[in-house]
Amino acid sequence: MGDHNNMKILLITTMISSYPGANTVGQAHLHYSPGTYIIRVPDPVVFPESFYMRCYEKGIDGIIIMSSGSDCPYEGAYRRLSERVARVYVQMKENGIDTSRLKLTTICTVCKAAFLKEINEMQKNILQARSEKEGVAA
Amino acid sequence: MEEEKNTQSQENESEEIRVGVYVCHCGGNISDVVDTKAVVEALKKKPNVKIAKDFVFMCSDPGQKLIIDDIIENNINRIVVSACSPTLHETTFRKALTRAGLNPYLYEHVNIREQDSWVHKGENEAATAKAIRLTAAGVEKIARQDPLEPIVVNAEGHVVVIGGGVAGMRAALALFKRGLGVTLIEKGDRLGGRALELDKVYPTEEKATDIVSQLENAVRSEKLDVRLNCEIEMIEGFVGNFDVQIRDKDSKIDKVRAGAIVLATGFDHYQPYEGEFGYGKSPVVVTLPEFNKLIADMPQSDKFTYKGKEIKNLAFIHCVGSRQVEGVHQPQADGRVNEYCSRVCCTATLHTINKTLDKFPNLNIFDLYKDIRTYGHGHEDYYEKASKRGVTFFRYTDDSIPEYAPSPNGSGATLTMKDVLTWNEEVSIPADMIVLATGMVPREISNLVGMLKLPTGTDRFLQEVHPKLRPVELANNGIMIAGTCQGPMDITESCAAAGASAAKVSILLSKKTIEMDPYVARVDEAKCDGCKLCLAECEYKGALFMAENYAHVNPALCVGCGACVAVCPPRAINIAGWTLDQFDGMIDAISMEELEPAMVPA
Repeated sequence: MGDHNNMKILLITTMISSYPGANTVGQAHLHYSPGTYIIRVPDPVVFPESFYMRCYEKGIDGIIIMSSGSDCPYEGAYRRLSERVARVYVQMKENGIDTSRLKLTTICTVCKAAFLKEINEMQKNILQARSEKEGVAA
Repeated sequence: MEEEKNTQSQENESEEIRVGVYVCHCGGNISDVVDTKAVVEALKKKPNVKIAKDFVFMCSDPGQKLIIDDIIENNINRIVVSACSPTLHETTFRKALTRAGLNPYLYEHVNIREQDSWVHKGENEAATAKAIRLTAAGVEKIARQDPLEPIVVNAEGHVVVIGGGVAGMRAALALFKRGLGVTLIEKGDRLGGRALELDKVYPTEEKATDIVSQLENAVRSEKLDVRLNCEIEMIEGFVGNFDVQIRDKDSKIDKVRAGAIVLATGFDHYQPYEGEFGYGKSPVVVTLPEFNKLIADMPQSDKFTYKGKEIKNLAFIHCVGSRQVEGVHQPQADGRVNEYCSRVCCTATLHTINKTLDKFPNLNIFDLYKDIRTYGHGHEDYYEKASKRGVTFFRYTDDSIPEYAPSPNGSGATLTMKDVLTWNEEVSIPADMIVLATGMVPREISNLVGMLKLPTGTDRFLQEVHPKLRPVELANNGIMIAGTCQGPMDITESCAAAGASAAKVSILLSKKTIEMDPYVARVDEAKCDGCKLCLAECEYKGALFMAENYAHVNPALCVGCGACVAVCPPRAINIAGWTLDQFDGMIDAISMEELEPAMVPA
């Protein structure tokens, strides 16, 4: 758990769907790493590519975008978000940032298991990326 | 990367930011895990924070009074409450700010219960550090917050209901009884919609036509503005002020102004392709709606005769056109299969089976199903009853969909499948007649979808904002949905949805003006360079436009999705209350490597 607590994972949630989903996890008193920080937005499509790059620059280890997926109530927003995330991946590669540190996923108001699974997977990805980086450095 | 430090927006830069931070114990729900005193002490050391306090229940009257007194006596002009989820008490604290004479939007609610103390039990130190970071992020956000005002638009006390089926009539009547003007538009030549095709309906066993007649009589006696044989030519405007152009059968256009629109456009039946279980090739293969129509007027008899031949063995096949699997089923016109469950067909099929046995008790009935989903109150009774009356059930899987083989003499067919109920034994079922339990598919309303940019789901039905929290609202302000345009549902559910839509519209139009949350796009004209990149991102016609060389927003049409924000290089356009500068500030607070030395509690 120690390694997990040393990492910061940003969860970008939607006000109408995954933010209530995160609350559902809390209401069930399920456990996840305290290094997980949740912000809520009307829709993640609001963030430009530079926002993600700035997060990594500031020390955020991993970002999970918990979108509404194809159930997004805003016309065309999910398509735009997917395309933007693809462009962020390109920028991450160009800047030597492991792309597994960013995940676009879909979480609804009752997705407790999926919510926890995504955090666990991101933790593993971050640890893997760290060990690979340390290996390269060694 | 270029760093843009902007602790205050242009609007509030002349004002000293004085933040009050209030940390709630929630009676131990938070304070048993999070050291709330430590959070308070840490936040006191943060720039802009003038007061930080903790209290046992911030939502209580004494808790709210703490805030109100500090606003009045200590000139606090921004509030952060770290407590439960904002979905519970955001409104509570906004009202407290209003009572203290402060703009209610100068308040940020930080969730340290559901997303901290409740999920990090036993990790008190880490949970406390997290609470400090989250609260600091709240301070960063609110320090960059301008006062906001609700968007106010005039509201026409009139509603256009599109679709004159059961849902449309129910919604129209409910709206009219609440004092609103109503125009009910029906494409066909009479009211009633799909219900006119039905005989007796579950669970009341009333004749569907009687239900339609009751509703139609009520609509007529109330003298609602009913337009038959009419279609929508154009809809323009926004919530409170929609201009609806209606085209009649003579192509004459009439205009109606409406404050809101209820869509009750209904569904279509799934139409099997030629050869699907023999449909279209064999006269004895029919769909469930066709079968219901066929037996509706048949008298009770020992024999069931169809097309001159006695039917002894009758087979029903469930899930035809529903719960389809890619690669197994033939795709629809758009290349996709119907993955969704049509929900009502199981009960409808079992209801029909019982009705059939009432008339023709000597029939052998076979029911071939994937799953039986009789989900409604009392619906399981139809299954129980059918079982007790000797109906033979077979269960198939997607790996073993019943195979249809016509009889050599062309008078019937054999259905072959592996039956899950007998441990995958291969069974051959002789059928003199086959009824396909076809599901519901979305009605073709692409003109409305395109005109109003209506959201549709992967199932192609209209997509509500949220199935539980806002089940009859579309993301488009002022447009509600009622009935099967939203997805498969039976008459009872359609009526409930229509009632909910009418209630929502009534609340919306209860005053002569509509107040909406101010979380829509806002343009800083001093920053806008007129590049027009934002225009290409906006899906909502009229929400964003250019004038005087910079972008303008119509707040009544903007849905606040933020698609335009991400593409604006100078950050001239933002969602009010959710600006990128605010998010940057939050990330700075969250990503503090260690807590700032000044914030570490002594």
